[in-house]
Amino acid sequence: MPRFSLNRRTFLRGAVGSAAFAFGLPALELMFDENGTAHADGTPLPVRFGLWFFGNGVRRQYWIPEAVGTGWTPREELQPFADAGVLSYLNVISGLEIKTPYHAHHSGMTGITTGAPMKVLGNVRDTIASTVSQPTIDVVAAQHFKGKTPYQSLELGVCNFTGTDEGTTFQYLSMNGPNDPNPSEYSAEKLYARLFGTSPNDPKFALATKARQSALDLVRTQIRALQKNVGTTDKHRLDQHFESIRSIETRLQLLGKNSCTTPSAPVDPMNVSGMEPIAEKNKLMSDMLAVALACDLSRVFSVCFETCGSGTYFWQSGANDGMHPMCHAAANDLVHKAVVFTMQQCAYLLAQLKATPEGAGNLLDNSSILITTEHSEGDTHTQDDFPILTAGKAGGALKTGVHYRSPDKENTTKALLSVLRAAGLPLTEFGTDEGKVTEGITAIES
Amino acid sequence: MLLCAAFFCSCTGNIGDPSGAAVPSLGVNGASGSSAASGASGSGNGSDGDAGSQDKLVPAPPALSRLTVSQYRNSIADLFGSAVNVPTDLEADTSLKGFTSIGAASVTIAATTAEKYEAAALDVAHQVFGDATQREKLVACKPASAADSCIRDYLASFGKRVWRRPLTGDELDSLAKLVSDVGDSFADPWTGLEYATAALLESPYFLFRVDHGEPDPGDATRRRYGDFEMASRLSYVLWDTTPDDALLAAAGRGELTTRAGLEREAKRLIASPRLRPALVRYFSENLALERLDTLSKDSAVYPDMSPTLPAAMRGELVHAFEHVVFDEDGDVRELIDSPKTFVNAELAKLYGIDVSELDGKSADTFVEVDSAPERRGLLTTAGILATYANTTSTSPTRRGKFVRTRLLCQEIMPPPPGVVTVLPPAEPNQTMRERLELHRTNALCATCHNLMDPIGLALEHFDGIGKFREKDGTAMLDVTGTLDGAAFDGALELASLVRTQPDFGPCIARQLYRFATGHVDDDGEQGVLDALSHDFDASGYRLKALVLALVTSDGFRYAGELD
Repeated sequence: MPRFSLNRRTFLRGAVGSAAFAFGLPALELMFDENGTAHADGTPLPVRFGLWFFGNGVRRQYWIPEAVGTGWTPREELQPFADAGVLSYLNVISGLEIKTPYHAHHSGMTGITTGAPMKVLGNVRDTIASTVSQPTIDVVAAQHFKGKTPYQSLELGVCNFTGTDEGTTFQYLSMNGPNDPNPSEYSAEKLYARLFGTSPNDPKFALATKARQSALDLVRTQIRALQKNVGTTDKHRLDQHFESIRSIETRLQLLGKNSCTTPSAPVDPMNVSGMEPIAEKNKLMSDMLAVALACDLSRVFSVCFETCGSGTYFWQSGANDGMHPMCHAAANDLVHKAVVFTMQQCAYLLAQLKATPEGAGNLLDNSSILITTEHSEGDTHTQDDFPILTAGKAGGALKTGVHYRSPDKENTTKALLSVLRAAGLPLTEFGTDEGKVTEGITAIES
Repeated sequence: MLLCAAFFCSCTGNIGDPSGAAVPSLGVNGASGSSAASGASGSGNGSDGDAGSQDKLVPAPPALSRLTVSQYRNSIADLFGSAVNVPTDLEADTSLKGFTSIGAASVTIAATTAEKYEAAALDVAHQVFGDATQREKLVACKPASAADSCIRDYLASFGKRVWRRPLTGDELDSLAKLVSDVGDSFADPWTGLEYATAALLESPYFLFRVDHGEPDPGDATRRRYGDFEMASRLSYVLWDTTPDDALLAAAGRGELTTRAGLEREAKRLIASPRLRPALVRYFSENLALERLDTLSKDSAVYPDMSPTLPAAMRGELVHAFEHVVFDEDGDVRELIDSPKTFVNAELAKLYGIDVSELDGKSADTFVEVDSAPERRGLLTTAGILATYANTTSTSPTRRGKFVRTRLLCQEIMPPPPGVVTVLPPAEPNQTMRERLELHRTNALCATCHNLMDPIGLALEHFDGIGKFREKDGTAMLDVTGTLDGAAFDGALELASLVRTQPDFGPCIARQLYRFATGHVDDDGEQGVLDALSHDFDASGYRLKALVLALVTSDGFRYAGELD
């Protein structure tokens, strides 16, 4: 693969400025070649990029395999992947460290999702508030695939708890830039309506689509006009608004061409006596995500299973409190059980991707997924020995079955660079400031 | 984050990272007040407390504010009346530095957010234009074709309501073209109007409150907010919704850039019942009452905890606030030490008060009662006591920190990185005061914790959900302490002491200023804040008087340079 260095900002802004859209056809409409490893015209099957995030760290003694290299045996917290039949699609990366300036939760969350330092918003009130200083890796990947699918990326949420007072870092996963989140959809019904709710067969669909585009065109003109009259910060905020309007227009043009088989409509599971039906919600969201990826509605996803520092109450695994307070109370055995439950949910999604055929293989064969959290362990909030998994073979770009343990606390951003490269991004470096790296984890790159 | 603060403040144990072992410091947030607290050091906003520069106003740069969810919904309801069901699927607000208004001034519109706005706009427009009666009422004519002149009249008059300012000729042209393009393709002018109305609602001029500012014709050295900008500023702060016709008319007459005109309209809005929900929002956000929605308490430790108790706790606080501000227009400091409060049946039971008139009444029914003898005001309400406590225990640190940071606007830094923030397990019969002894004996912890723990320990007669207890386990309680040198014995004396703190009144003004302007005050606004505090004091601490002073102050009327 040819590699060249690209300044990340230029890369993102440059993509924003381009006027032409490259329309890709959904994979299902195309023929595969006779080996099932590429489309009939020789273009390789698309690689999907995913970020799957859970809050509050792990218990390392139950997470890190004893052996390194290949042939290791999973401990209890990774056993769910073996149970779901997807262990062979994983790499375990241990011993890496967040190198950016520390603040409990905040620096780990922003560091592991962007490769860059957090942006502190202030010390007002109980703690600090922060946001990212750079886009998160799913956004970076989405810019790469921009214009190829109706949805640039899909952002899903599972556990409902979100922070309220510590900035976007405690509220969101996917970020375009500082204070600029792509909020997750937490309702299975709404996700369904968004992805599968329009019916292009409606005779008025084409007319209505044209009318909607006319209105959106007008809105874009207004945004540009307004931008002439505001400060620098607001100009950037309106750039994002402009891009968002444009993404709706792209979708309107591509949706009519999509021939996805519509799955059956879900019903949001209700809380019972305050107990959140997490596994049921995770199943609905994961099932829909697999369908959406299979019919190429999007090539990028993020799953905010829980937010950073989440206080989700994992009654399913016998928790006696929210996850974050349990960590602080050093209820480590209960924390461990909650991590096992959480990994069962992650393994469910991976198993669904594996069960979705594509060409000669399956969706997981063609995915590059990073699975991680915001620090190593919740009782100490340390950000060395960071828990990181990769899942999927990325169409052959990722090795699998490897436990790579860093001998000298390498930079966590190396893992980000590896999974982005595996998804086809031509990057030779990633991250900024102390987070910047110029090499990936070579042990997992093919 | 719900429980972070308490634990951050428990700095027992070891410092893991010697290089990061900066001594935690307390800063008074803003240059006023000059708290007597030891360790006070400057402002969290970079102030050096230079009193000499206080009088010269340096206004904050103008910023776009995205409508909050309630502002969006109230605006739609006011624009379209009962004809429409107001959309509910909107992006949630972001609270920043304590207030959603500050979050609104920093958020943008991401792709999924834009989708929701588009869907909501199409939905509202379709509700109106899919109904022959409704659409004729709104447009005030029956257009024969997409070229009918009444269409432009509608776009001008309704567009002005939606965008909160007159539309330019170009803007009207482009909307009229949308009506005719879409109207022609559907062969129905109404459909053209439907999409043009949706476009008005999808526009950044509706979704953002556009504050830009203009040169002040009377003083070339400064910039002011224009008449229509002032209309929106007033209306969204005081009513949480779009300006009404009278306010837009006053803006059109150029009256909102005059002190007299501004004051007249501000008084009109303040006199309206619509002020009430807007100020309750300020009060709730300032005390972080949203945390009651996710209160986590161990029912084995607190058998009185129930799914309905948090709403009762919130109800007490909101009723008390509304009573002093709206029913009495009284001294708002009474909230801190009033001998009366409001309870529903469940709360009365928790407080051990017998209120026969609540027998059989629903959870929504609150009545004013004499507080239980051991309780006085805010600090002894279950809502505050439970919010600032842990799942299975009280937290004197969190309660003390609440008083310092929220009631006195002082800032306390989190402990340095690497501090193990877990208290050692309680030994048999050990009181909370004894468990917190490490905070005092370890010098590094003591710097901050001496500012917080003694305040919280005064409230140890109230458990983790705010229920009164004689003892902590089997031990008698020592609830004596000092606040910046002044001694107190127990919650009632603490309440009186907080009321007389020099930072207490100014802190109310400061938080309201942040809520109303959507930003955290900077040094250049200290003079305005001092003046507001002074007026607040002179008014006898009446909140409505403070609100009037605030929205007519230079800090609210004048704009900084664009950044």
